[in-house]
Amino acid sequence: MTLTVSAQNNFKVPTHEKFKLKNGLTVYLMEQHEVALIYASAVFDAGSMHDGERYGLATLTADALLFGSAKYTKEQIEATTDFVGAELNSVAGKENAEVTMSFAVKDTDKMFDMLRQVLVSPVFDATEFEKHKQRTLLQLTQQKESPQAVIGNYFNKLLFGQHPYGSPTGGIGATVEKISADDVKDFYEKYYTADRAAIAVVGDFKTADMKKRITALLGDWKTAKSLVGKDNAPEVNLKNSRVLLVNKSDARETTFLIGGKGIVYNNPDYVPVLVVNTILGGRFTSWLNDALRVNSGLTYGAGSRFNRYKQGGTFYISTFTKNSTTVPAIDMALGVLDSLHRTGLNEDILASAKAYVKGDFLPNYESSGALASLLTDMFVYGFDESFINTFQSVVDDLTVTRANEIIAKYFPKDNLQFILVGKADEIRDQVRKYGSITEKEIKEEGF
Amino acid sequence: MVLEDHSIPTANMYLFWKVGARNEVHGITGLSHFFEHMMFNGAKNYGPKQFDRVMEANGGSNNAYTTENVTVYADWFQKDALETIFKLESDRIASLSIDSSMVESERGVVLSERSTGLENSNFRLISELVKATAFQEHPYMLPVIGFESDIKSWTQRDLEDYFKTYYSPNNATVVVVGDITLAQVRKLANQYMAPIPARGLPPRVRTVEPPQNGERRATTYKDISIPNILLTYHTPETGHSDYYALDLLNNLLSSGNSSRLTKSLVMDSTVASQVFTYMADGFDPNLFYVYAVAADGVSAEQLETSVLAQIDRLIKEGVSEEELQKVKNQKLMEFYRGIQTINGKANNIGTYEMFFGDYRKLYEAPRLFEQVTPADIQRVAATYFTKRNRTVGYLLPETGE
Repeated sequence: MTLTVSAQNNFKVPTHEKFKLKNGLTVYLMEQHEVALIYASAVFDAGSMHDGERYGLATLTADALLFGSAKYTKEQIEATTDFVGAELNSVAGKENAEVTMSFAVKDTDKMFDMLRQVLVSPVFDATEFEKHKQRTLLQLTQQKESPQAVIGNYFNKLLFGQHPYGSPTGGIGATVEKISADDVKDFYEKYYTADRAAIAVVGDFKTADMKKRITALLGDWKTAKSLVGKDNAPEVNLKNSRVLLVNKSDARETTFLIGGKGIVYNNPDYVPVLVVNTILGGRFTSWLNDALRVNSGLTYGAGSRFNRYKQGGTFYISTFTKNSTTVPAIDMALGVLDSLHRTGLNEDILASAKAYVKGDFLPNYESSGALASLLTDMFVYGFDESFINTFQSVVDDLTVTRANEIIAKYFPKDNLQFILVGKADEIRDQVRKYGSITEKEIKEEGF
Repeated sequence: MVLEDHSIPTANMYLFWKVGARNEVHGITGLSHFFEHMMFNGAKNYGPKQFDRVMEANGGSNNAYTTENVTVYADWFQKDALETIFKLESDRIASLSIDSSMVESERGVVLSERSTGLENSNFRLISELVKATAFQEHPYMLPVIGFESDIKSWTQRDLEDYFKTYYSPNNATVVVVGDITLAQVRKLANQYMAPIPARGLPPRVRTVEPPQNGERRATTYKDISIPNILLTYHTPETGHSDYYALDLLNNLLSSGNSSRLTKSLVMDSTVASQVFTYMADGFDPNLFYVYAVAADGVSAEQLETSVLAQIDRLIKEGVSEEELQKVKNQKLMEFYRGIQTINGKANNIGTYEMFFGDYRKLYEAPRLFEQVTPADIQRVAATYFTKRNRTVGYLLPETGE
């Protein structure tokens, strides 16, 4: 039985203003007046793409922005932020680094001063940096106690090899150990450049006032010119199926990913791919979850996803099951993927997926924080509001014929790559059939 | 309960059921959580799988959670689907069918859920141990997910009885928030929910945990790299007048890098790599948790000593007005952030209605937090954070013995 909602509600990106400061910094301002809060998000072309061999450098640099500034010590920054119940965070991803904050309108002066301090004049205090490095090293070891926390790093390494997308953004012990406060200072000076950065401010303010404030706050910030060129796209040529078996000797279950090449962030077929993936593994009634969870009780959850980067992407099926049902679960997942290719889709299931995708879309852009991220994503990945504003009609226009072409074109079928984290002794012999096998110990450093 | 919010053309429905692990006994542990699963597995008008299929085909989605006290179902949908949601929800409340083949596959699902929690979370392991030690009598000792052996052996009869006992419509509170009107909700509720007959309310939980009169300790092992410790203290039920001071105390200890435990153990020294605290909600008196993961080369004993030194300092020296003002400010910001989205509104309104007996307490909370004094903080710290009231758990790296 398929019931579809007749009246669709078209969502448009709320009115906002975009302009550039003289130093090249792009600014987005969007008013949202429901609660007296302000969200700010600043992005820089300073992700782990630029780590080189020093995995973890971008992450440590982003972390260290908050370790003291010309005017304030780390402790003062934290005390001030905590006192007003504000949030101030910094993080690096593969493509970019981000500083985000949220605060009450009445604390705008105080928190904007803080924002300027951490962006414009961080001092990378060596003592604080060393303490943080020791904590990071310990976290890297502890991460390996959770298969879910690390399996993605193994997959990216297997797929992208030496390309920066294959490197662990958080670093590994051997590389983090060698990074110093001076190294992160250099990285900051080279990559936190206003000409490749943007800041989005969303919340309870008047645009004209905020424009003056942001211009006064960051307009005189002088940075080096970015030397970043065009990144090389990764070459992913999967010529055979490979299995990486990661031994966790006390595992009670096998955690696994099966996949291959995905799509780049701005692939024009992203929306159709999203709709089709919803059917395969993107919702509760998806074919993967239906088979592995609902029908057979093999797992708590099974799904599939496309992770997109600027120049590449991955696709994988992910789930977990107790040691003894590892092979039945993998076989079933492969069967579902195969049936997507063999049988394709029909009108009913496509209509259902379209309704779901549209329904799921709106709440993603409800809060001011989410809208600030949307604006900075537009900057980082180079898309504009037409992506949002036309989303529903692009979904509506997808036909069964086109959806089936999408499957053939974008969903991996052969030469699949497997990461299995589990008790190797109990599954090794049975999983050889999936491809050429390599083994690692989970406690071994790196991926 | 209905709150109109027309900011985006969507709405949600949250159903709060007064049933959780505290209503269980040995043999049927985990049943409350299992119902959170079985409620999706077919009823009279919408058979197995149809609840999710119809909802998703209508652009809706859903989730649910179970705690020691309540089971909560949440549906998110475009506003036009309101009637469909009422049809789906009323069908499973009025006439859930407990299909035996669905029960069997769902057992596997829950066993996998339990297993993956233990595989990926050290806190899961240590908290189950400590709860079971801190409570000797009250059912808060039971893990919400259930014991493995119980999950494998619930009977059809257990399930039918549980549904009859706890899923009576008068044991639920429904909250609808979003781009809908009160009149629409009233009409649909009268049409679909009102005809479902009320039954007797479930029996109250009889067991009262007696005061803990001496420290308790428990240890377990796993193949991990560094020790984890968990301390708990018995605290009163959520509606108690000390709730506000205790919740502020929670922020004082671990909210932000300037908080007492984070600053002293993680930032200023290298005793711990991670610390967090929280106070568990409860219709009955529950626990205040203090969790810490050691730094490199620090033993569980050293870590415990350092945590206790901070707690003792708080009891002896209290807090300044300024430090207290900090956590009051944080509470106000948590309040604003909590009501930013329609989901936050619905969940908060329902939670306050459940635990404080009146949703309006949500809006009073900022004022009630503001009234807490430094003397209150010192008093509750001294009252509840005593050695006799404490349970200490260690999760240690395997020794190979």
